[in-house]
Amino acid sequence: MSTITTTAAPSKLWSGGKSPFNVEYGKLMMWYFLMSDAFTFGAFLIAYGTTRFASNGWPNPNEVFRSFPFAPEGVHAPLVFVSIMTFILIISSVTMVLAVHAGKNMDKQAVVKNLIFTIIGGIAFLSCQAWEWNHLHNEGAWWGANPFLNADGSQSLNHFTNFFFTITGFHGFHVLSGVVINIVMLIMTLMDKFEQRGHYLMIEKAGLYWHFVDLVWVFVFTCFYLI
Amino acid sequence: MSNEVVLDLHGSTSIAHDVHHGHDAHHEHHETFISKYVFSMDHKMIAKQFLITGMFWAVMGGLMSVLFRLQLGYPDSTFPWLEDILGKWAKGGHISAEAYYALVTTHGTVLVFFVLTAGLSGTFANFLIPLQVGARDMASPMMNMLSFWFFFLAGIVMLSSIFVETGPFSGGWTAYPPLSALGSASPGSKTGMDLWIVSMALFVVSSLLGGLNYIATVLNMRTKGMSMTRLPLTIWALFFTAVLGVLSFPVLFSGFILLIFDRNFGTSFYLSDIFVNGVGALPNEGGSAILYQHLFWFLGHPEVYIILLPAMGMVSEILSTNARKPIFGYMAMIGSMFAIAILAFLVWAHHMFVTGLNPFLGSIFVLLTLLIAVPSAIKVFNWLTTLWRGNIRFTPAMMFAIGFVSLFISGGLTGIWLGNSALDIHLHDTYFVIAHFHIVMGVASMFGMFAGIYHWFPKMYGRYLNNTLGYVHFWITITGAYLIFWPMHYEGLAGMPRRYYDYSIWESFKQFSDLNRFISTVAMIVFATQLLFLANFFYSIFKGRKLTTKNPWDSTTLEWTTPIKPGHGNWPGEIPEVYRWAYDYGKDGRDFISQTTPVGADESVH
Amino acid sequence: MSHTADTLHHDDGAVVKEIWKVTGILSALTIIELILGFWMMGISSSGMVMTIKGTIVILMIAKAFYIVAYFMHLKHELKNLIMTIVVPLALFIWFITAFLYEGNSYKNLKNRYDPYKKQQTEIKVQKNEEVNESKKTAE
Repeated sequence: MSTITTTAAPSKLWSGGKSPFNVEYGKLMMWYFLMSDAFTFGAFLIAYGTTRFASNGWPNPNEVFRSFPFAPEGVHAPLVFVSIMTFILIISSVTMVLAVHAGKNMDKQAVVKNLIFTIIGGIAFLSCQAWEWNHLHNEGAWWGANPFLNADGSQSLNHFTNFFFTITGFHGFHVLSGVVINIVMLIMTLMDKFEQRGHYLMIEKAGLYWHFVDLVWVFVFTCFYLI
Repeated sequence: MSNEVVLDLHGSTSIAHDVHHGHDAHHEHHETFISKYVFSMDHKMIAKQFLITGMFWAVMGGLMSVLFRLQLGYPDSTFPWLEDILGKWAKGGHISAEAYYALVTTHGTVLVFFVLTAGLSGTFANFLIPLQVGARDMASPMMNMLSFWFFFLAGIVMLSSIFVETGPFSGGWTAYPPLSALGSASPGSKTGMDLWIVSMALFVVSSLLGGLNYIATVLNMRTKGMSMTRLPLTIWALFFTAVLGVLSFPVLFSGFILLIFDRNFGTSFYLSDIFVNGVGALPNEGGSAILYQHLFWFLGHPEVYIILLPAMGMVSEILSTNARKPIFGYMAMIGSMFAIAILAFLVWAHHMFVTGLNPFLGSIFVLLTLLIAVPSAIKVFNWLTTLWRGNIRFTPAMMFAIGFVSLFISGGLTGIWLGNSALDIHLHDTYFVIAHFHIVMGVASMFGMFAGIYHWFPKMYGRYLNNTLGYVHFWITITGAYLIFWPMHYEGLAGMPRRYYDYSIWESFKQFSDLNRFISTVAMIVFATQLLFLANFFYSIFKGRKLTTKNPWDSTTLEWTTPIKPGHGNWPGEIPEVYRWAYDYGKDGRDFISQTTPVGADESVH
Repeated sequence: MSHTADTLHHDDGAVVKEIWKVTGILSALTIIELILGFWMMGISSSGMVMTIKGTIVILMIAKAFYIVAYFMHLKHELKNLIMTIVVPLALFIWFITAFLYEGNSYKNLKNRYDPYKKQQTEIKVQKNEEVNESKKTAE
């Protein structure tokens, strides 16, 4: 106690008058918002895990997710389509990093180019998801309806589809809002908003959000498709 | 925000803060009534908006408790005027069972979320954080404004639910399924519950917007010299409150989304094996109502500390100021608040010992729960030691602060009883629980809030509250609070369950009918006293004794270095620099040394 | 923004190189996950399946680390910022443990006290394709 009143704080960063993390408040808020959102998704996935642990049987994802567009009749390829979705999201994340990096160098052309790639990636992912939902719906799966049997061949409860549609839906909603944010960023870049401000920090914050969407997919992908 | 500097911005770029108010506090920009009093972005105005909206809800919630206490105290009497105000909900002057449950539910929801979360931390975080850390406003005034309006909207939706035909939600403020998940379960589970969820979702958004702002402001916007360990304890408390809110509300949000799907889209996350009278067996299978309870209490328990921590922080500040002594154990206070904040996330299932929770898991929750006693006790001893041999000024704020400590001890001790799963088998869902949480969380936090209002009213409005009325308010409220809730412990130990509509038909509870009538009578008197406080509050805004000095309480903290009525931007000219911690009272023979006073060469190291 | 006092200025090429390196790692991890996933399909021993699932979860966390550390640039922020973001996530440990333990316990309680329900869940249903095939053979 005694030191506080009379001597200077040990760390200059924390002594006030500036950000202790050397980060402006908007980025800080974005980080903490994402942390908060991580708890939203965490709660969903944990609820899913709890329900799965409380169930006597569970469908085998490899028998559920085994189709892909334009596949010939009767050809089943588990994991293929979702791997494509995963790679689309990873690549769109990479282009987003490149856009952020270009923003730091004040390279407008590269920002525009990479943002467009990211937006295309996002839309491609959403299209894949739409196709998959539609396909599953045609098979009879929906909220409150589960046509798939448990892995051991017994009758399955509705939880599998309930959680699948709720969680991938919530994630898809995040992707959609991410795409919208990126489109806004693109328009602002094209209007030279950031050139006028002298920095591309907004792109960096949008990038954080976009990577978070990718991050969540890593968990959703593993929890629903792989294990 | 001129005091936010980022060290190296990749070359020569600099960040133009999107809300720049300049250095002078007087307003260059044109202000209309709308921009000053309605859609204001000034944190002080937003704080007042939170406070007054919170007061409205406190009156609503209090009135509801008076109405259902009327039923509990006088189950055999009829009150024809009740039919005049409640209509079909009180046919023949007797509150119906549905109305009783709706009142209990809305009372709980409104007081927990709207009054003690938004009204308490919303008000004081907004008001005190920029003033005490030395910032011109919040990090993002825009988000701050949105935070209030989302809260306001949540309130409107909740209010509208009272007027729908099937009544507001009536399944308890915890909204456990199946009552909350099935429209056919009760009248209140229909439209009333839909509106309840919408209202709560809006409230989660509001609290998130506010919380992120508070965290960013405390971390980034501190004035020069204001290191974290020089912050007043109010700021530390509000900081931890914001962290708790940001991390726990989203879990509730997820739980609500699953609930919405159960209500409207045929899922069965929380539902299994249900037969509804008149509807028949439901197809839902395999869900678990306990899952909802887990998700709910993962928020629900941190929520208790969201309510309590701001009161703790303000009480620390007020006790130290009015005892004219430094707070005892400043670092221990921060440490114990930190410990409470962490433990808050680890103990949620102690609300669920008798739900069918695994007993082994329950025993771990007992252990973690009892650990909370350690930081709580540290705080209590530090408050008492701060008072010890102090030169105490018994202002109304100080009285309420001491009252808080008293209530926190009384209510906290019964928490040790309830935290034991074995004792909880007997005590759960009885009046013992009601007594415990009303004293420790409800009334104690209200006392913290009153203390804060009496202490910072001069800063808010440039006038004093009437002292005499303040003392009357304090003595009646503390006496009343103990008279209302103390007897409930005995009722609970005798096994009297909570949430019952009419106890007079049970032989075993007939012995309490006089006691219940007594409690109801006191409740009405206490409620009337709160109206007296409100009269004092609104009268004093316009006619109270004017402040003649900037620093009426001889306080060390920064908010008292601003002008009596600070404009938007708080300080005319430069923001003062800080040279010392917030608790230099009675040092070197000086009564107090403001944080802005540089450390003298001859000053002692204490 | 991220070029702070203790992380010296990377030159442009190094940053881009790092991005592609991480992309490679993420792709490799995903491919390993997929291989494990395919491998798992043919295995019947539940112990082995659990081991593979555990490995996949570890790989998942590794992927999350690379995304947060490099794409979200957290590794190059100040240590205090990293701590304020990573430490609260530790709350997930008890969050997950308690919930899953509770889910498992709920299942055991149900199976123990509601044997009829348990029997119901053990009845095998003919799979759709088999039904179709049996129809075909009937025709």
